Amino acid sequence: MKRTKGLAAVIAAGALLIAACSDDKTTQTVTSPSTGETTAVETTVATGETTVETVADTTPVTDPPAEGWMVDTEACVDPDAANAPIEGTIKIGSAMPLSGGAAAAAFAPVKDGYEAYINYANENGLLGDIAIEIAIEDDQFNAELTPGAVSKLIDTGVHIFSGIIGTANNAAVRGTLNDNCIPQLANLTGSPAWGDVADYPWTTGQLAPYTVESKIYAAQIAEQFPDGATVSLFHVNNEFGQVYVDAFTEIADEFGITIVSEETIEATDLAPPVAQITNIAAQAPDVIMAVPLGAQCISFLTEVANAKAANSGWAPAVFLTNTCASSLILGASGPSADGLYTSSNLIDVVDPANAEIPEVAEYLAVMAAAGKAEVAATAVAGWTTAETTVAILIQAAASPAGLTQASIINAARNFNYEPTLGLDGVVFKMNGEEDPFMAESLVVRQYAVAADGSGTFTDVGELITEFES
Amino acid sequence: MKSMFSIREGGAASWALRLVAAAVVAAAVLWVPTSTGAGTIQTAIEALVLISAAMSLNILLGYTGQISIGHSAFLGMGAYTTGILVSSYGWSPWLTFPAAFVLSFTLGVIVSFPASRIKGVYLALVTLSLALVFPQVVTWKKLAWLTGGGSGLPTKDAVVADTGFNIGAAKRGQMQYFEIFGWDPFGDLRKPDNKAAFWYWIAMGVVAVVYLVARGMVKSRVGRSMVAIRDNETAASVMGVNVVATKALVFGISAGLCALPGCVTAIKTGGVSPEGIQSLTVRGAITFLIVMVVGGAGSLWGPVVGGAVYVFVTDKTGAWSDDASIPALLRPFFGWAKVPPSDGIFAILLIVLMFVAPRGLVGVWRQYSPRIVRVLPRPAGAVGRSTMATMAMSTTDSEGEHE
Repeated sequence: MKRTKGLAAVIAAGALLIAACSDDKTTQTVTSPSTGETTAVETTVATGETTVETVADTTPVTDPPAEGWMVDTEACVDPDAANAPIEGTIKIGSAMPLSGGAAAAAFAPVKDGYEAYINYANENGLLGDIAIEIAIEDDQFNAELTPGAVSKLIDTGVHIFSGIIGTANNAAVRGTLNDNCIPQLANLTGSPAWGDVADYPWTTGQLAPYTVESKIYAAQIAEQFPDGATVSLFHVNNEFGQVYVDAFTEIADEFGITIVSEETIEATDLAPPVAQITNIAAQAPDVIMAVPLGAQCISFLTEVANAKAANSGWAPAVFLTNTCASSLILGASGPSADGLYTSSNLIDVVDPANAEIPEVAEYLAVMAAAGKAEVAATAVAGWTTAETTVAILIQAAASPAGLTQASIINAARNFNYEPTLGLDGVVFKMNGEEDPFMAESLVVRQYAVAADGSGTFTDVGELITEFES
Repeated sequence: MKSMFSIREGGAASWALRLVAAAVVAAAVLWVPTSTGAGTIQTAIEALVLISAAMSLNILLGYTGQISIGHSAFLGMGAYTTGILVSSYGWSPWLTFPAAFVLSFTLGVIVSFPASRIKGVYLALVTLSLALVFPQVVTWKKLAWLTGGGSGLPTKDAVVADTGFNIGAAKRGQMQYFEIFGWDPFGDLRKPDNKAAFWYWIAMGVVAVVYLVARGMVKSRVGRSMVAIRDNETAASVMGVNVVATKALVFGISAGLCALPGCVTAIKTGGVSPEGIQSLTVRGAITFLIVMVVGGAGSLWGPVVGGAVYVFVTDKTGAWSDDASIPALLRPFFGWAKVPPSDGIFAILLIVLMFVAPRGLVGVWRQYSPRIVRVLPRPAGAVGRSTMATMAMSTTDSEGEHE
């Protein structure tokens, strides 16, 4: 009997291994139709389903290819490959936290938005005869796994990378991608490190630098507290949190801000920050400037609400990193999120007041058709990143060199584009070493929770563009 | 139990079998860097790092019976030693390996002294605290001058740059070729395949070192003392084994060896922080334990098998959060899962193994392989003194494996 049980276990384990071995497909490929103003589109997705639909041409408008900064391909391992024309299909790779801890819970929907836009771009023939293929690997927000994920994608012939999430994750592959002249576009992190054009010309960021966001919050705090404000800092204890805090601390005096305490939470810590918030409450600051990570945003807001309830009369203004500012996270926080300040450069796509905006309506329709309506608020980051990437590709394809890896990074570094879901006045632009950051304008927003639990953002003031290079 | 074949230990057939096994292992080791792409090589490096860490844990837990859930801290010692010495003091990465061994050995010996007075679950808790405290210490702000704090290493301008062997563009002053007395085995290291192969051989070298040290220990007098302590500490003490000294030595060597894969990880990742290298958090410690138990504790080849299986399963189920990636046969079982199910698979596998094969997959092989080939022991007169001594001390074979 014991022998039989042993054999059964071996067979079960073997079956799992064989099953695991039999299919490792991660790529979703969509064939591209021909271009035209109004096009009948036949889309074949990985599941084998075939759909036919009619769509309007909404090709993003980009400025003509700029002549300015040019990458030096002589430094590439294979200069010929960097200048070789890309024909037929362009393969985009990425690594994102699709599973794992706090980060995955918050960022996984970015993949849905990214894939939805690539499908949309293919269906509408935005890149002409060239089909776009996207392959996204799960690195669990673990930089130890990112090089392996990226290498696998390079093995499969990926031409460019786009939308890799996480500072350490992007940094772990930056050297390899730059040495091999593979564009690493639209890193989904706001680390100032992506502005190093001289040493890493093939790497660009998508988000507004965290240093800019910090300064914008400091300016807003100074406006709300003209006589000076006391601020407690709460941040995740990693490079992401440290960049915010360093930038904020550096300019605090300039804006009449006194930092009274600083509390941290480890990146992998999922426990509520009870002790940290208790310590902050003991200082009774006017403002809490918070930079938690992913799902930690929810527990932070809950603990602040508990602390406010326990300390009557203390009602600090809470400024929260915009990486937390999705309806997914704030909605899960319930009334605790009411009144917080954050920032953005995109339209709030789930605000009913914006539903009539054609671009928003189209985005929501596409997400609903993909069965991803429930994550539309967070997925908008992926959608916009993919849209930016496709706009770069369009610009590169229109350049005299045609679509090559070199022309793609040249287009990215000479870029000027208004994202369809961006706020009025938001322009994604880069200009070689003079302006190495894609986005540097933000508007401060306040979040309000209605009696029925729904939440909406209200812009506080105008779009702040003074930090644009 | 009948066997299809019977061969005699030390005979020609026995040696032929060993040569075939060695050839298969050598072929597998060579096949990865020469016939696969960078992606597969990187996955193999992940396996090699886990294998070396689990082997070092095996010396302590598998052979000496000392439970440790804190080996992630020793791996972290290695990673931080490399990170600090290379990025802050400009050391050659090669020199950081012995430095990491010595530092981690010292930490292991220090931990062994309180550990020598406790055992079982209490020892597990002490070592668990080590795993929990280590990330807190290295991210402590007051140590940021040394460890980089929460941002990790390197810290220059808050940029996480290439560290370790600093492979890359010449204009950044980085290494492009690695020559051994004029011989360039890898070519341009900036190419992903070549770079991955370079790291692979470093990781493989670490596995070889850890394996040889473990094998040497297990087959030596110290190894017999370790097994004696594991099987009956009181009896071992009565037989003249210095229990405290042996535990301290084993703890130290196990910790020192576990630091070596940490050095490899720091070099490969290009930065060191608990967030960036999750193997140096408690999750890493538990992973080493899983690898060792799945493969087979108390067996030299157990961690090798466990590491390969762990990385293979994790890699192949990594995309299973996407329904389309799940094989159709298994979709009804895993289609509901929103995350890759490798953790769940190993949880189930561990439970099953604990019931039916507590000595892991290698144990299963040892149990059933005699049905195919039975290796008959040498005649009694040919048994060496060391084997007789082992037999006298316990009911274990020469590698400490329970019969």
